[in-house]
Amino acid sequence: MNIFFLPKELLHMDSQVVVIENLKKYFHTKRGPVKAVDGVNLRVGAGEIFGFLGPNGAGKTTTLRILTTLLVPDSGDARIAGFDVKKHPDQVRLHIGYVSQAGGADRPATGLENLILQGQLYGMTTPTARARAQELIRLLDLSEFADRIVYTYSGGQRRRLDVALGLMNRPTILFLDEPTTGLDPQNRANLWTQIQKLRQEGTTIFLTTHYLDEADTLCDHIAIMDDGHIVAEGIPADLKKQVAGDCITIGMEHPAEKAPQLISLLRKADFMREVKLDDNHMRLYVTDGAQAISEVLRLFAQEGVPMENITLSAPSLDDVFLRQTGHSLRDINAQGVNV
Amino acid sequence: MKIFRDTILLFRRKMMETLRNPIYIIMSLLTPVLYLVLFSPLLKNLTNIPGFSSGNVMNVFVPGLLVIVAFLNGLFVGYNMIDEVRNGVIERFRVTPTSRFALLAGRVLRDLVNTLVIVNFFAVIAIPFGFKIHIVGYLLLLVILSLVLITTSSFGNALGLILKDEDRLSPIVQGINLPILLLSGMLLPMELAPKWLQYIAHINPAYYAVEAGRLLASGHILETKVGIAFLFLGALCAITVTWATRVFGKAVA
Repeated sequence: MNIFFLPKELLHMDSQVVVIENLKKYFHTKRGPVKAVDGVNLRVGAGEIFGFLGPNGAGKTTTLRILTTLLVPDSGDARIAGFDVKKHPDQVRLHIGYVSQAGGADRPATGLENLILQGQLYGMTTPTARARAQELIRLLDLSEFADRIVYTYSGGQRRRLDVALGLMNRPTILFLDEPTTGLDPQNRANLWTQIQKLRQEGTTIFLTTHYLDEADTLCDHIAIMDDGHIVAEGIPADLKKQVAGDCITIGMEHPAEKAPQLISLLRKADFMREVKLDDNHMRLYVTDGAQAISEVLRLFAQEGVPMENITLSAPSLDDVFLRQTGHSLRDINAQGVNV
Repeated sequence: MKIFRDTILLFRRKMMETLRNPIYIIMSLLTPVLYLVLFSPLLKNLTNIPGFSSGNVMNVFVPGLLVIVAFLNGLFVGYNMIDEVRNGVIERFRVTPTSRFALLAGRVLRDLVNTLVIVNFFAVIAIPFGFKIHIVGYLLLLVILSLVLITTSSFGNALGLILKDEDRLSPIVQGINLPILLLSGMLLPMELAPKWLQYIAHINPAYYAVEAGRLLASGHILETKVGIAFLFLGALCAITVTWATRVFGKAVA
């Protein structure tokens, strides 16, 4: 980025690439207003991979669309690289790259043609655009198929081209909206490697996901969004520490009704931190999982309560989510709710 | 200037798409051939009927068909638009500093080039069937056809961008298509129609295009109807393009 284009306020912002203050966006539907984004505050530092986590319909994509100038917020402020998205959308556009869920590559054209046109639309001359395209073809390993028509690409190849398109203008920050949705595990892992490579090259990355493992492995910093609000924010490891100890998950139907006696016994156990129940699971947050699990098994046997399965795990981001919102992210995603 | 460069860049993108689709090219050029071979023989005995009294049946028939070609080539572009919206292409462009006008103009320009190629091909192969070209009149006819195409293509593209779904676009486009075609006198002159139908036709922009087209094709340039057609179609074109550009600027694609 050229330092001469920086506005004064940015120089006092100690390298915050994204600053969001009390952002609101309501959609007006026949059933009344939907508070898609309801008072969001966020900061994303330069050079980090920021993960924006939440179920479908939480407001992640709406927030992203405001940051990428596709939507105008009702109120609040959002600045990207120091530029206000409402007042200076053109400046914001020069500094961002955006890869939407749909991708955006033009299918009847070749990958190389797509890249060159993208550069030209940012005002590059054709030779400059071509040189930049070649750089990205190397960086993202596109050379094998860059001269083929995009119609012939596999899902993973298309994703890599989509990411390359988002990088043509050397953005300060790259927005990725659910980048690995629909990819097979191998292509997911491959894309993760590419994203980490981009961070090493100094690009700030802002990605949305509803995959917890993705946020966990990839992101330096995460925010969890639910129902238009940020419910938790921080470094994944710190967030997980908030959820005490380990988690024992027991699969069984309607534990609250079937085993009230057992539950009151479990609550009294000295290793127990917290008991959470839903229709299909009993989740026990315990101080020392390995020791607790034998005691839990003993109590189940003593009370004669059958279980379908039992797993012991270190706390995951799902546990953080569950703790903050009262519902499990996995369950919501399994329902496939899409608002 | 950026607006021109962007328009040319986006025009080139769409033009490459056309050139890579030989089936589209063949089918577009086949349509006029089919009309001339399979339909124009029916017109041989129509010389004494109102509207055909000018003497040359083909100079009544061909301009009407050329207006149909221009009208339909533009009206149905919304489907392609929806395909690109769904694949995120339009959204990708809207996140770049690309001129919003160019996003529309690049597409319309491609449709215009395609249409002018088909129209000229049609006119030339109609010559052996008896179509007589009056150079100045024909050039002005091309302007009329361009106005029709620019209007319908801008409208079709904006409609696709607003609706984003083929199942919602279809009934609207089909619903517009049929009454406008029937009330334009494209296939049979409106002189054949009862008075009430002729009155309704006067609110149909395509009717003016067809009437002026026929006069121009026969070399009648300084006619009131020609002037009215230019004014009416020019104004409609300007309004539609302005509206469509605004849709491209703010639509949530």
